[in-house]
Amino acid sequence: MTETKDNMESNENLDHRFENLAGYVLGALDHAEERTAVEDLIENDPEVQAEFEQLAEAAHLLAIAVPPAEPPASLKTRIMEIASQGEPTRLQDVVAEYIATKNISRSTPWWQHAFQSGFAVSAAVAVLVVVVGGTLGYQNNQLGNEIETLRANLATESVVVANLQTELSTTLTDAETRVAEMKSEMKVMEDDFGATTEMVVHQEEMVSELAIVNNALRQALSDQSWLTYVAMKEDYQLESWLASNTPQVTTTEPAASGLIAVRVVGNEAVFQVHGLQQPQPGFAYTLWLMGNGAPRPVAQFEVSGIGSATIAFLLPAPLRFFSSVMVTQERVNGIGSDPTGIMVLSAQTN
Amino acid sequence: MVGRVLIGQMNQLNYEELEDLELLAKISEKDRQALAELYDRYGRRVFALAVRMLNDPVGSEEVTQDVFMSVWRRGASYTSKKGKFTTWLFSIAHNRTIDELRKRKRDRSRENTDIDDHLNIQSSDISPADAAVAQSEYLQIRAAMEKLPVEQKHVVDLSYFKGLTQTEIAMKTGQPLGTVKTRMRLALKKLRTALSAEIGAQA
Repeated sequence: MTETKDNMESNENLDHRFENLAGYVLGALDHAEERTAVEDLIENDPEVQAEFEQLAEAAHLLAIAVPPAEPPASLKTRIMEIASQGEPTRLQDVVAEYIATKNISRSTPWWQHAFQSGFAVSAAVAVLVVVVGGTLGYQNNQLGNEIETLRANLATESVVVANLQTELSTTLTDAETRVAEMKSEMKVMEDDFGATTEMVVHQEEMVSELAIVNNALRQALSDQSWLTYVAMKEDYQLESWLASNTPQVTTTEPAASGLIAVRVVGNEAVFQVHGLQQPQPGFAYTLWLMGNGAPRPVAQFEVSGIGSATIAFLLPAPLRFFSSVMVTQERVNGIGSDPTGIMVLSAQTN
Repeated sequence: MVGRVLIGQMNQLNYEELEDLELLAKISEKDRQALAELYDRYGRRVFALAVRMLNDPVGSEEVTQDVFMSVWRRGASYTSKKGKFTTWLFSIAHNRTIDELRKRKRDRSRENTDIDDHLNIQSSDISPADAAVAQSEYLQIRAAMEKLPVEQKHVVDLSYFKGLTQTEIAMKTGQPLGTVKTRMRLALKKLRTALSAEIGAQA
């Protein structure tokens, strides 16, 4: 019962902004999209931020209240070693390291030094050019051969690549077909999930309605006891005839019940009803006395949130002179000489 | 705690005297000593949370290492909007452990153990002083948990310590999803009320 009350209290204050906050704090959300949505709310909504801080603090208490366990000393050493390795190495650092490893000089090229040494060595350079030219010619011939070989290899590789492209294309087509199938399956699963969610919501609504009806019945019982007590103390005679399961009662609302108490001396009466739905817009419930000449409208009345009403009125004649009592829905301030609206409750008085 | 304390003539910083956020600021400057101090303060608790959830000391070491390396690399991303520093730190630890737990669940289905088993002190390597503190905190959390309606206690255990999602809990308990969400929220609020005065002051 406590649990039900708690749930009811929560449901009454239900605000979709807070709906997934506890799940977020407990790490129990199902989808990344839900987490992102909650984080956006925390970032932008001060009320959600405040609620988040409270719930997060509770989760934090759970974390610190677990029994301590001693990690091995090597764990701290390992963490500090990893920290000392610094940030992940950047590509340019890798290149720099490679250059250093290969002892590749990034200083001024040799030929710049040569030119900077002046024309004094130009004759020696001329001789050197002849020698180097001969050497380069030989090397050029060798490079030409290597290029031809590479071209031949490239042609072979091109064929291989073309075959791979064909295979890849086939694989892609298969994958696209499979993705389409999976999308279709997911759509079916989403529809099923939607239907299940709808059922869950419906069940929750039913539980909530049942709780309200339960409260209404308790209230009705309580009120009836009170009226019975008043009837005895104040010389009222209780005409308890509106129980919906009695044969003389006709009703369109099975949950409805009611009673009339009449003072023994005099013509004062009290009418009480329970379990009525709210009337249609523009209509109000009307109490009629029937069977003693023309129908007599006694009063138009509203019902409380739980469908109850209590009305005190003067009987135009002793109640036994009337054959029945009736409650109908009539237009507000539009009562005619006869009941024309929906009859919700009718009962014989004898 | 006070701010900074200078020792002798060397102007050496006493890291033990620094507040958590001061340590975090130093960590964002890649101060390893600050990381070591932070580990000394919270390493055991992070490890203990992982052990509590995974029931596996080796896996818990990996989780603890990941948590502190995450702080080392992303400490500068902390803002007060993420809650108190310790709340933020333990949320990193919890999320990381849940990731590990779910990864393992995907690999193989694990036998669930009762909540009371988890609440028992499991390590035999705890010092007598720590054991006394642990026993005190254990009794407090146990008392607070016992005050919860059994359904609320169950959803907290399934979500926080066993890593089940809301939908998984709804399916496991046969309760509507809305009811599960409501119970989670109510349980946290009640726990906070019951425990914050007791343990919060010590944290």
